[in-house]
Amino acid sequence: MMQGTRILVAEDDPVTVRFLQSLLEEHGFEVLVAEDGRHAYELATSGSPDLIISDLVMPYRDGFGLIRALRTLEELTRVPIIILSMKDREADIVRGLEEGADDYVVKPFNARELLARVRKQLDRPRS
Amino acid sequence: MQAALIYSILSVLLVFAGLTVLIILGKAWRESVEVYHRARRREIEPALLAYAHGEAVSAHPGLGGQVRFRDRNVVETVLLEFIQRVRGIERDRLGRAFDELGYVDSNLEQLRSARWWFRAEAAEKLGLSGARRATEHLASALNDEVPEVRIRAATALGKVGGRASVIPLIGALNEPNRWSTIRIADILTGMGTDVVHELVQSWDDLSHSGRLAAIDIFGRIRLLDAVPWLRQRLLDEHADIRARAAHALGAIAEPGSAGPLQDVLNDPEWPVRAMAAKALGRIRHRGSIPMLTACLRDREWWVRANAAESLRLIGPEGIEALIGMLDDQDNYARHQAVLMLGEAGEIDSWAEQLAVHDEVALDRIRRVIRSGQIGRLKELAMLHPDPAVRTRIRELLPEVAA
Repeated sequence: MMQGTRILVAEDDPVTVRFLQSLLEEHGFEVLVAEDGRHAYELATSGSPDLIISDLVMPYRDGFGLIRALRTLEELTRVPIIILSMKDREADIVRGLEEGADDYVVKPFNARELLARVRKQLDRPRS
Repeated sequence: MQAALIYSILSVLLVFAGLTVLIILGKAWRESVEVYHRARRREIEPALLAYAHGEAVSAHPGLGGQVRFRDRNVVETVLLEFIQRVRGIERDRLGRAFDELGYVDSNLEQLRSARWWFRAEAAEKLGLSGARRATEHLASALNDEVPEVRIRAATALGKVGGRASVIPLIGALNEPNRWSTIRIADILTGMGTDVVHELVQSWDDLSHSGRLAAIDIFGRIRLLDAVPWLRQRLLDEHADIRARAAHALGAIAEPGSAGPLQDVLNDPEWPVRAMAAKALGRIRHRGSIPMLTACLRDREWWVRANAAESLRLIGPEGIEALIGMLDDQDNYARHQAVLMLGEAGEIDSWAEQLAVHDEVALDRIRRVIRSGQIGRLKELAMLHPDPAVRTRIRELLPEVAA
């Protein structure tokens, strides 16, 4: 089911990127990687991702700004976005969801839990 | 003479040349080691990640058998980097690999090193790896002669967790001269709810400063189970324990604590009254409005300020109570009520209504002026963007004063 499903990972920490890439590829996903917010925006608009996993603290454009910008684009309004961040304050989580994210996972993260959330988002009908 | 001078110059030049060559060689060596490590890392990382995600019993086969001596640092670094970024099964498996590949043993050995920076680093790595079997050694390192080693061992115990780690850290709370109580309290707070039970059990053995820190930890962990025990502390013989307990109960914000907190609004010590007033606001307890209103007449500024803030936090009914205090006999109470109504934006909002001749707003503005606290109104008379509002306030100020 997940073959050919493309996930964009927007994350500036190379160790986390490698971990996510290894995890997602092992489960059959195709992974695009952006190391900053600007690059993430470019890849999101040009790479047709099926789901986006985004950090909040990134160079050039933070995760909140990225999500806000992506949600204004018609072709990306229905693409699920999961925030993966070290920010665990209630205010950040609420803001992330209000900006347009579909889910929020706090780092350090549980890999199996993240995978389950990814699958759940991909399985949800997007009307 | 001339020959001696030439020889001296040549010797100096030779020394400089030798040093330059050594520096260049050193840099080249370091860079080549880094290149080697990067190359090895590219091979080692996928093997360790495959082990973390998979179900293999041992990490050895993926790494091609025993880890070569020259790869040991790379493997250790990779393991610790990934361990810090994940939780759950992956983290457990990486921690197990850290132990299986001999890094727990090697760091335990380093923990006994004669060089303090080796001991500090070893303590840190053992903490990151979450090695439970290092707990006892880390607890011993809390007595290290070097403060940096002690604090890293304490941090490591916080990461390892479990009862065996909590007990020595609670012991450290008793030694404020030897430890930074704030840092130990931070570590214990980060260990979560397990700590609460142990702190309650250790209460009788804690020093006074340890008890104060313990109550603060309860307030930060915010475990409901601790509430009955904290309410008991409101009756403690020491005022600072009572005050901190009130603060912690406010942080937990369990509505049932309102009654006991109302009782201590009459405490003879003002810090207890101030903290109880603050806590009732954090609980948003509407039933406490009459008592908090009475606290606006307290002889201590902190009690009055906290009571006013709490009335604001309670919402419209609390704001009404503050408005009711505008005509109070007590000058301090009137002052505090006006200050808080200003901070809440109420005075600005009444001033806005003057432009549309709102009678309620007009009455309230007149009461504020009669209270004698007209600082905000003077500002609005000069700076409000609406000229009609500015004019109306200017008209009212001398009118009421007269």
